[in-house]
Amino acid sequence: MATQTPVPAAIDQTTETAPRRLVFEVLQDWISTTDHKKIGMLYIGYSLVFLVIAGFEAVLMRIQLAFPNNHAVSPQAFNRLFTMHGTTMVFFVGMPILFGFGNYLVPLMIGARDMAFPRLNAFSFWISAFGGLLLYFSYIGGDGMYGAGSAPDVGWWAYAPLTAHAFSPGHSTDYWTLAVFLSGIGSVGTALNIVTTIISMRCPGMTMNRLPLLAWLYLSMSLLTFVAVGPLSAAQIMLMLDRYLGSHFFDAQAGGSAVLWMHFFWIFGHPEVYVLVMPAFGFASEIIPVFSRKAIFGYTAMVAASIGICFVSLSVWAHHMFTVGLGPAGNAFFTLSTMAIGVPTGIKIFNWLATIWGGKVHFTTAMLFAVAFLFQFMLAGLTGIMLSVAPLDWQLGGSYFVVAHFHFVLVGAILFMIFAAFYYWYPKMTGRLLNEKIGKWHFWIFLIGFHLCFDLMHIPGMLGMPRRIYTYEADRGWFLLNFLVSTGAGIQTIGTLIFVYNMVWSYFKGEIAGPDPWDAWTLEWATASPPPAYNFATTPSVASRRPLWDLKHPEDTDGQYE
Amino acid sequence: MQHDPHDPHATDTNVIQLPAPTAYPMVMSLGIALMCTGLVTNIVIGILGLVLTLWSIVGWFLQVFPHEAHIPVAVEIEPIEISTSRTLGRRAPASEKPRLVIPVETFQITTGIKGGIAGGIAMTVPAGIFSLIKYHSFWYATNLLAAGGFVSWAGASDAFLSEFHLRGALAALIIHGLTSLLVGLLYGAMLPMFPRWPILTAGVAAPIMFTVILHSGIGVISPILNQRIDWFWFFISLIAFGLVCGYVVNLHTKVRTAQFRALPFAVRAGLHTDTFPVIHVDAQEKKDLDHKDKDAQQ
Repeated sequence: MATQTPVPAAIDQTTETAPRRLVFEVLQDWISTTDHKKIGMLYIGYSLVFLVIAGFEAVLMRIQLAFPNNHAVSPQAFNRLFTMHGTTMVFFVGMPILFGFGNYLVPLMIGARDMAFPRLNAFSFWISAFGGLLLYFSYIGGDGMYGAGSAPDVGWWAYAPLTAHAFSPGHSTDYWTLAVFLSGIGSVGTALNIVTTIISMRCPGMTMNRLPLLAWLYLSMSLLTFVAVGPLSAAQIMLMLDRYLGSHFFDAQAGGSAVLWMHFFWIFGHPEVYVLVMPAFGFASEIIPVFSRKAIFGYTAMVAASIGICFVSLSVWAHHMFTVGLGPAGNAFFTLSTMAIGVPTGIKIFNWLATIWGGKVHFTTAMLFAVAFLFQFMLAGLTGIMLSVAPLDWQLGGSYFVVAHFHFVLVGAILFMIFAAFYYWYPKMTGRLLNEKIGKWHFWIFLIGFHLCFDLMHIPGMLGMPRRIYTYEADRGWFLLNFLVSTGAGIQTIGTLIFVYNMVWSYFKGEIAGPDPWDAWTLEWATASPPPAYNFATTPSVASRRPLWDLKHPEDTDGQYE
Repeated sequence: MQHDPHDPHATDTNVIQLPAPTAYPMVMSLGIALMCTGLVTNIVIGILGLVLTLWSIVGWFLQVFPHEAHIPVAVEIEPIEISTSRTLGRRAPASEKPRLVIPVETFQITTGIKGGIAGGIAMTVPAGIFSLIKYHSFWYATNLLAAGGFVSWAGASDAFLSEFHLRGALAALIIHGLTSLLVGLLYGAMLPMFPRWPILTAGVAAPIMFTVILHSGIGVISPILNQRIDWFWFFISLIAFGLVCGYVVNLHTKVRTAQFRALPFAVRAGLHTDTFPVIHVDAQEKKDLDHKDKDAQQ
């Protein structure tokens, strides 16, 4: 029979009588903080700001495409919009918000006081934040301090030779390069911190076999970040050398190779999808069992699948380059490797379904988002398998079908799980529950908007509508579909505004959460909400994967089954 | 109780040492960002960034050397009661018969591999006969299989496909070998699940299933194969594969799975032959369990 030590936490009673602090003191507190929880919230807050900005850019694009022959924005502005939208969403929303949750949750879930390198943690956040600011400063200084500004317009993947000086004069592309480079430094720093923390700072009894799945997923994601971000940073430096010191890495006319850039970019770009989606898997692996009132099904298989995804995702990058002409061997290899990644991913989906199966399902807002994630991620995977087939990719590559596919992954899977994570862990971060009624309005409106937008977006792609197109003729037959897609984007905006309202309203008037509002099982729920600076007054000790279950049910502890 | 102020892990009942707040990480990142900005704006901004970076390097260094700076944080321990209002329930079986029969014995992975190799060799016989009869060349079927991997072969003539091409032979070998191995593994895994009619399962049902799946998808995977394939001979080849692979797989001895260890001792010892013990629940006990289950986890 397993035994365990109770996990008492501490509540600092002095805060109730503490005097109200000056704004400057609050600012100093946040700027100089090395507390993983505050850094996590800084990451999340900064990402949400960029989410609003990049979301606004998406809405502008959809307004432009809602009608044929429309000129709501200029062609030049449209090019900047899709470049900034893609770059912002990937580098300054997706990665930082997930690093934010990781920063906040990983030490709490493994019973640690902080991250392994608290100062590096702060540095990683701030350098990513300044990278985002630098990117948007390009709207003012893109052509140089003394000229009119212009943001980057080379697409988020910035293919050569479009980025060469001849085709991209001024500094707009340099802002893109430098901003993404700075973001890469921050990403590697945080990944290093997460790996070190998980490897060396787990509380007594927390073997790797008892590590929460979220921590496992963050470990896999961080290892992938090491491998993926390096080539991109190297390519950014090579591009700067091409543009300023006369090297010719990507200049085909001088012996370089434009395809080399594509390889560098996509050997980052595809693992990046998994860098983003693995934390979402982690959220699902924590939320689904709690609201199904069952332990996760197939823990070992889930861990193996995570590691499997980590490795296989490194060998699929060139499926983004089928249309370049890889040759039969390349086509066959990348088709097969891309299909192979469906195996560990499928294992995960089946295990989540098996966890829900036979459980006592509580459809809280977090669970609703998680269930929607399951179906949407499966659909995204199916269109991914379609695109993995080289001949089909030759037809659909570069069309709106691809745009719809990857938005199913990024929005339908990742953003839905981020919303779920907010509903689940917001009480831990703030001490107050998000309002469930408003949350359900948020869920259903966003769900309708999402499907109206991205389900229908596949069809114009199959009808031949190219991605990044500025406008289209009325006789192409794309109008109604595009209008409905744009309407869906508008509905998603309304849903997001409801979510923002819920966050603000609940912060002041939400129901007090208490330490464990969901009757959950992992260590973060063993301390106060919000947790004190030191997380746990005494270091916890665990004897199973669900230490709080053991404490709540000493007559039937988990350790005996693991 | 004394504690070492330089030991980050030192705690007592009142104080915990935590890393001291510092603005140097922020200053250093600002410095690096300004140095980058200087590249595309003005050198003065770059120099400012360099100064900030050097300043923060020194400041950060002094923060952690010779001892990492910590601050004591006061703690007042108040145990949080970890409890639940939910009670445990035992779920009653849905029926008296188990819904899922998981094999207690199965084949080793190598069995599937051997079956796949044998089936793959057997499959080449009808494919070769078809090729010889219809095109007077063994290589037609080989090249046709390989053509899916070569874009330039999409419009190849029958005469071209009837000739020997080394890369065609190699590509066909890889495609056929890999597929045979994978299907062999599938046979090894699935045959124990359908133990009653192995010949029917392996030699008829599976070939029909594979033919239907390939018929619907071959146009996407290999358009040239889709245009020229002879479905009758293809089906005959699959039957040859299925019969030989299934035969080879069934020749091997099964090994016990983890399910076997979960069986009662009497069954494992061979004293009792009921390999799938049924949990008998009388009506009153089932009613109690259902009632308890409803109360549980509320």
